[in-house]
Amino acid sequence: MLFHEVYGSYYNVVAGILAEAVRGELSGERIRKIIEEKAYLESGITIPNALKKGKWPFLRADYTTPIRHTPTMPLTDLEKQWLKAVCEDPRIRLFDPPVGDLEGVTPLFERDFFVRFDRYADGDPYEDALYREHFRLVLLALKEGRALRIRFRGKSARHDQIYIPEKIEYSAKDDKMRLIAHSKMGTPYVIRMASVQAVSLAEMPDGREPRPAEKETVVLTLTDERNALERAMIHFSDLEKETEKLDDNRYRISLRYRKDDETEILIRVLQFGPRVRVTSPESFISLIKERLSMQKRFTSCGS
Amino acid sequence: MAYSELIKNFEKIRSYMRDFYIYGFRTRTEFVRKSARSYDNERRRVESWLKGAVSFRQDASGKSVFISVDNRETLHNPFYKALKAKSFTDRDITLHFYILDVLSDGEKLPLRAIAERVSGRCEEAPEAAFYPDDATVRNKLKEYVSLGILAEEKQGREVLYSRNDMKWDMEGWRDAVAFASEAMPLGVIGSFILDKYKHVPELFSFKHHYLPGALDSEILAELLACRRERRNALITFSTRRSRGEIHQALIYPLKLYISTQDGRENLLAYSFHTRRPRMYRLDKIRSVKMTDPQPEAERLDMAGERFAEFLWGTSAGGDKRRTLHTLTMRIHAGKDERYIADRLCREKRNGTVTRIDENTWEFSALVYDAQEMLPWIRTFTGRIERLSCTDAEVERRFYGDLAAMYQIYGGDDDAVS
Repeated sequence: MLFHEVYGSYYNVVAGILAEAVRGELSGERIRKIIEEKAYLESGITIPNALKKGKWPFLRADYTTPIRHTPTMPLTDLEKQWLKAVCEDPRIRLFDPPVGDLEGVTPLFERDFFVRFDRYADGDPYEDALYREHFRLVLLALKEGRALRIRFRGKSARHDQIYIPEKIEYSAKDDKMRLIAHSKMGTPYVIRMASVQAVSLAEMPDGREPRPAEKETVVLTLTDERNALERAMIHFSDLEKETEKLDDNRYRISLRYRKDDETEILIRVLQFGPRVRVTSPESFISLIKERLSMQKRFTSCGS
Repeated sequence: MAYSELIKNFEKIRSYMRDFYIYGFRTRTEFVRKSARSYDNERRRVESWLKGAVSFRQDASGKSVFISVDNRETLHNPFYKALKAKSFTDRDITLHFYILDVLSDGEKLPLRAIAERVSGRCEEAPEAAFYPDDATVRNKLKEYVSLGILAEEKQGREVLYSRNDMKWDMEGWRDAVAFASEAMPLGVIGSFILDKYKHVPELFSFKHHYLPGALDSEILAELLACRRERRNALITFSTRRSRGEIHQALIYPLKLYISTQDGRENLLAYSFHTRRPRMYRLDKIRSVKMTDPQPEAERLDMAGERFAEFLWGTSAGGDKRRTLHTLTMRIHAGKDERYIADRLCREKRNGTVTRIDENTWEFSALVYDAQEMLPWIRTFTGRIERLSCTDAEVERRFYGDLAAMYQIYGGDDDAVS
């Protein structure tokens, strides 16, 4: 059973509180902090009250506890089965998890039960030895706060310099890993892991903070025909968005996106054809017009 | 009943959360399905669970609640928090911590010894409101054995209980679990495991990351259980057209179709009513009940595979006979536009791509529902030399929509020229 209190926030918070009580380090202030870090907005009243009034009989007035051991819970069957299932995936094997721990456990699911029918076909070579070696070095640098010297093929040129790694970004649609990094000068880089030709650890240079990603907003008017509203709402749900109802079947949708994703957003908007009209900014409208002008080379209406 | 942050049944709040996140423009008065009080309570819970991700907008039609996050900057799926809000009784939590504590020395103990020790610990706490009896302790022990938290072993006439601790290299799993909790199916289970760590470094981010699938985790877990045990499932579900009416179907689950481009999840299942495979939207399935064993699981799997051969996405079209249609599209890619041909090749799915001449590429596919391909075809706007389809409606719609686009963006002054 997945929706069960043993996995719940309240049990985790109480375990955290009792761990400090066992060590003799608990105070009212610590209880408040633990709840703030781990629980919900309104848990700050419920949990302390239940502990104080003895509804949950774990604490004495001096914040000591009859519990003798730091609370831990063994992995449940569901958790073990999930670990067993995920470690059969080549992306997870990049991390070299100690799979021997799970001998005899039945996986929660078969890998081929899940069909990602619209995933791009040129995903990363997760089982390639060199790719795996590069991935592990990048991961190590991230964990140890080190810089990396990377040589890679970009779209138009080769690059070879010191980069400060920030995150490894994975796209399920592209089935690719990318390193989000910046140079010493703070210039942001997105480096495809599969394009890396050589990588080595380097000392962290004194450098500038990365420049924040530049964001734009595109405003669309959607006409709800052929279920366009539901399709668009789901399709753009990965972006920061706001929707207003204008009248019975028209909606205004504002989407925030990163400037360097503009071509992709343009393509995604084009998918909706005339059901979606871009109303601002002018620069985005011009991009749509440009595509339509190009199309006119081949089609007169109804050809 | 007094308001609580925690809930007994997840199904009730599932649709509210999806609505706030996916749509986010409906006002309180538009939530006519439930009472105003129910709406207020559910909204308050969502605000409490998701803290900063919930926003409001007030206009003439009323106040609307919406959840808005940039998924690339969201390091942990916020909906997982909702799946950690199961309610429990004071007895449940008391027994949980004391039973695990009294067994922490690695002893194997019978019920009586556990109950005595738990009572002893409760007595040490002032104002304890609950002293457990044997029957209550036994029920909890049985429950924890079924979850895999405890192990039981018969010794003579006595049953001994112990913690089912497994030796596992927690540190060795940390990064894999952190990644898998967002990238793999039922990632919420990974999130449960991550809660055991004191610190998890934030090493990963995710693009094209669709979050609301998490809300269907319980349903998916139950379908997977049917699949593992090769059993049929009795499901209740609604459809887009049924306007809230609930249907029931006996099925055998075959595959889960996940769109990486909008996050939608569809269950491919063998329907015993229509006697062939069909799709069910996972977010529309309300309940799953495991039923009889399915002795012909392999034959049904094969039927599913044959059916899937001609799917572009998840639709078999409106034609009950499932007629196949051929769609052909010619694409112009200039000398410096090799990336267009590359796009065709990586996105063609079950279609084929052929180079016709230096600058022309032809894509062709045989599918049940060619209309389903139109959104993808429109992404090549600007380069489509020709489109033809054995389903005449597809051609008509494509060129009709294109004409409408010229009208919208060109208008009378024909800015698109």
